[in-house]
Parts: sequence; C-alpha cells; structure tokens
Amino acid sequence: MSVSGPDFEDMVNNAPCGYVTLHPNGRIEHVNATLLAWSGHPADQMVGKRFTDFLTMPGRIYYETHIAPLLRMQGFFNEFAIDMVTAAGEPLHMIANANERRDADGKLLLIRLALIKATDRRRYEQELLAGRELAIAAERATQEVLLLEHETSELREQFIAVLGHDLRNPLASISAGARLLGRAVQNEKEQQIVAMMQTTVMRMASMIDNVLDFARGRLGGGITLEYDANGPLEPVLAQVIDELRLASPGRVIEFEFAVDGPVNCDRIRIGQLLSNLLGNAVTHGTAHKPIAVHAETRNGLFELWVANAGEAIPQTVMDKLFEPFFRGKARASKQGLGLGLYIASQIAKAHGGALTVASTPAETRFSFSMPLA
Amino acid sequence: MANVIERNNVQVRGAGDRAMVFAHGFGCDQNMWRFVAPAFEKDFMTVVFDHVGAGGSDLSAYERAKYSTLSGYADDVVEIGTELGLKDSVFVGHSVSSMIGVLAARQAPGTFGKLVLIGPSARYIDDEGYVGGFSAKQIDELLEFLESNHMGWSAQMAPMIMGNSDRPDLGQELTNSFCRTDPDIAKAFARVTFTSDNRKDLAEVSVPTLVLQCSEDIIASQEVGEFVARSIPGGRMIVLNATGHCPNLSAPDEVIAAIRAFVS
Repeated sequence: MSVSGPDFEDMVNNAPCGYVTLHPNGRIEHVNATLLAWSGHPADQMVGKRFTDFLTMPGRIYYETHIAPLLRMQGFFNEFAIDMVTAAGEPLHMIANANERRDADGKLLLIRLALIKATDRRRYEQELLAGRELAIAAERATQEVLLLEHETSELREQFIAVLGHDLRNPLASISAGARLLGRAVQNEKEQQIVAMMQTTVMRMASMIDNVLDFARGRLGGGITLEYDANGPLEPVLAQVIDELRLASPGRVIEFEFAVDGPVNCDRIRIGQLLSNLLGNAVTHGTAHKPIAVHAETRNGLFELWVANAGEAIPQTVMDKLFEPFFRGKARASKQGLGLGLYIASQIAKAHGGALTVASTPAETRFSFSMPLA
Repeated sequence: MANVIERNNVQVRGAGDRAMVFAHGFGCDQNMWRFVAPAFEKDFMTVVFDHVGAGGSDLSAYERAKYSTLSGYADDVVEIGTELGLKDSVFVGHSVSSMIGVLAARQAPGTFGKLVLIGPSARYIDDEGYVGGFSAKQIDELLEFLESNHMGWSAQMAPMIMGNSDRPDLGQELTNSFCRTDPDIAKAFARVTFTSDNRKDLAEVSVPTLVLQCSEDIIASQEVGEFVARSIPGGRMIVLNATGHCPNLSAPDEVIAAIRAFVS
C-alpha cells in the first residue's frame, strides 16, 4: 500500500532525519521541516540557495572537491560527514547519504540528500583521535626512556670493563711485592701477614676476572672460548686447587681425577670455573669438613664437581644462585661480588654444558657436565 | 629514477601523433577524466595519471619535502612527458593541476604545446589588489579543520585504498572508493594547494592557453579565472554553463567541445 496525501507529506517533512533535494546546479529545491528546525534557517532562505552556502568553509571545499565528484561518478554516496552552519552560526555536524535521480537518457534531474545529526558521533571520533595521539605520544616517550636507559647501562658496563682492566696492573704490583717480601721476612707473624696479603690479592684478581667477564658478556662479547683438544687438563685443575689451598690455610681440599682422554675445552676457562666453585665452597662450606673435587670422563661426558659440607641451601635461594650479583649469607670480609657462580654457569653454557646444584643437610654439590664431542 | 609509469599509475590509450595529458586536482584521481578522456582517443594518444599520494599511485614514493611545493608535482609531470617522449602535446589540468601544468610547460619547453586549464586559480588567498576568494583566516581554518577533524575526514578518506593497484574498471561497483586518500597526504596536498601563489609564473607561459571557467564555482570564481586568462600572454577564457568545480564530471560534453575547438 502506498502512502499519499497528508500522511506522505508528514512522512517526508517530519522524518527523523534531514531531507533535502538539489537541482543539478546544486541549488536547494526542497527541504524538510526537520532540517529547517535543526538548522534554524527559514524555508524561504534556504530554497533556491546553493546547498554549499550552508556548509562550513572546510565543509564547502570538501563537498566540491570530494563529495560532488563521487556523487557524479557513482550516482550515490553513503556516510559522508557534512558540517552545516546553523542560523545562529553554530556548526551542525551531520552524516549524509545521497543519491541521484536521472531520466532515461541519463540526464541528471535531482540530487536527494538524507542527513542524520552526528554531534555525539563526531565528539566520539575526536576522542578516539585524541586517544590515538596520546597513545602515540606515550609510546614515543617510552621509547626515548628505554633508549636513554640502554645508553646509560651500556656506559656503566663499559665503565666496569675499563675499571676492571685498569685494576689489574696495580694488583700485579702488589702481588709481586708480596712475593718479594715473603722471601725476605723472617718471623712467623710477618710471614702470616704476607700470606694473608697474597690470599687477598688472589681473591681480588679472581673478582676482577669475573667482573670483566660479566661486563664483556653484557656488552655483547659473551664468554669467548679458546678450545684446545690436546693440552692436558689435570695440571690446570691441580694448579687451581693448589692456589686455593695456599689461600685458605687450614682447609682440606681432596681431589680425585679420572680423565681418560683429551677434553676439548678452554682449559683456562675450566680452571676459572673450578676456581669460582672452590671459592664458593670455601666461603660457604663448614670450615672443619673437607671440600671434595672430582673430575672424570664418563659416557661421552666430562664431569667436574665440587662438594662441601654445611647447611642445606634453601629452595628460594637455589633459584637465584646463578643470577649475577646474587650473594648468599657470608661474613662481610668474605663477601664477593656475587658473580662467581654466574660466571661459572656462563662458562658451562659456552661449552655446551650445564652447571647444576644439589643441596642436602649432608652435602652441597655443584656439578659441571659437558659433552666430549 | 623509480619507474615513473608505475609511480604515477600512468595509463596510455588512444591513437594519434599528438598526446593529450590529463592531470587531476586536489581531492580525486584520474577517474576525474573518465567522461572526457575517451572522447579524444580517436585523434590523440591520451595519458591519464594519478599524482603521487592519490588513487593508484605508489604511496611509498611520497616524499614530504618534494611534494610540499607544486614544483615537486610539476617535476613528475615533466618526467612522465620525458618517459613517454611527448612532443608538442596538449596538457589538460584540472584545479590545482592547472598551475602544475604552467610550471611543467616552462620547465620542459617543447613537451607541452598547448595548455587547457579547468577551474584554475593562481592564488586562493585574497591579497592586496587581488581577489582569490578566500581569506587567509579561512584557509587556516580549512587546514586546522584537516588537522583537528581527522576522524571525520578519515571516515571518507579511509586510511588506505584497498587493492588500489588494480582499480576496478568502469561499470564495476566502486562504492566510495574514489577520492580516498591517506589522511596525512590529503592534509599536505591541501596545504600546498591552498597556500600556493603562482601569479608571477603566469606571464612566463609561452604556449597557447585556454581557461575553462565554470559558472558558480566556489573554489575558483570567475574573477580568479579571468585573472589567470588575462595574465597569460594570449590567454583565452571560455565560461561554461556548467556549475560547480568539476565540469569534467558534471558537464563533460561541454568540456569536450571546448577542448576540441581549441586543439583543432
């Protein structure tokens, strides 16, 4: 059933949208009551005028350069933002659909425009836009902070590397001096003092080595290895044990060695690993119980472990043992940097092996294991 | 140099010794010429293209600095002419491309033998003793509107044209896919268009030039068109019955007839 007469007029005039028809020359032919009410313009001031006269200046330019061409080319457009200006001079934000009426020859007769108020939608769009800009700005700020942080930390690590390197020379002088003094001094008390100096020098040298390795690792160099498949490993390990014995008078370190063939590894690094494990055992193990060191080749693996007696390591501590700068409970004078186990585990990894720990009230054992081939 | 033909989505059709190059203005792309260019295919080699940033052009070739002046766009037109080996061709420019043609013709003498300028303006902003049609404040508002009203615009100028490289041919459903431009590029193109001032360049045009002026063009008024025709040595102007700013779409027959009379 078609609608006609007063009902039809009401349907168009009081539709819940603005409705306007334009002559092909762009001038307004009809405008419904809804749009008149929204815009505040009287009908006699709108009819006969160009539709674009009632748009904001940017809206006018956009209509002529974008909307009108599109309408001409496809015969309609959907969902375009159109901003009118009310009689009071206020912007009236709208979304419009339009289509054309053409005759049988394709000649344009009429343009129909339906307009929906979109004030809230526009506000929402602007909030979205503002939100996006905020997010972009925040992202940029975060990136800047990260970059700065990265630069700072790199600088710090470079500083550590340089410092560690420069500390080695004066330490070597102290070490040489202590050795000379050790030959010269006569009484037992003086000898003890010199021995203590040498112990301290060794502990310090080992700390510097660890710091340098740590800094190098952080700077991207990682732990570098110089593999040697032929050199004997035992004398290197034995020397490390001798040094530790010398530096820890009164401590018993037992050593078993069962290596059948060559071990393709960086012997200096394995020595450093053992030294770090022994240093740890000396610091944390029960003083009157012996420390055991064991090295062997078995089932295609090279295994090296260090065991000491003492309290069991709590599980919470266990998880953090191999993290850099982790320090367990120890007398202040014996505190290291907390890098020893971390570096040892890095050396293990670099060899394609692993460093693990098992701790019971009877024994704490650190085991290094690496494949032989 | 990047492939000019792909960069500007250059389409060559028709037959003939002389070429006719059609350049679109701010807001749309080469589809602006779909009712006009085919009429010349019998007698001319027709060339349509998209400015970089518009239509099916290579968006990755968009350089902010280069396209911050109309000379950057004119350089592209010259490159297209060189690439196609054009001699004594007809340049038809719509809207801002009118001035791009004026610059290109001067830059590459011999490439363009005639200019047709549709709805040209040498300067949109009023100046002392000159009516451009817009106050500096209004153009500022436009650019501000483009900055602040991004979402409202992007609803129409959608972030990216989907599958624009193989633009659907005539007759296929195109639903709003014309005239879509990356919003940032649209803003930049609006700025270079509406703040340009090429009044001094007009006197240097040395080829026959025809201005096609629409009735009731709110972008480029008759006064603005008259200024262009008057300032170009030997420039002629025809006022079309067509209204609005895009007679190439709204009154193609009138535009075709005027161009044909001018070039034959």
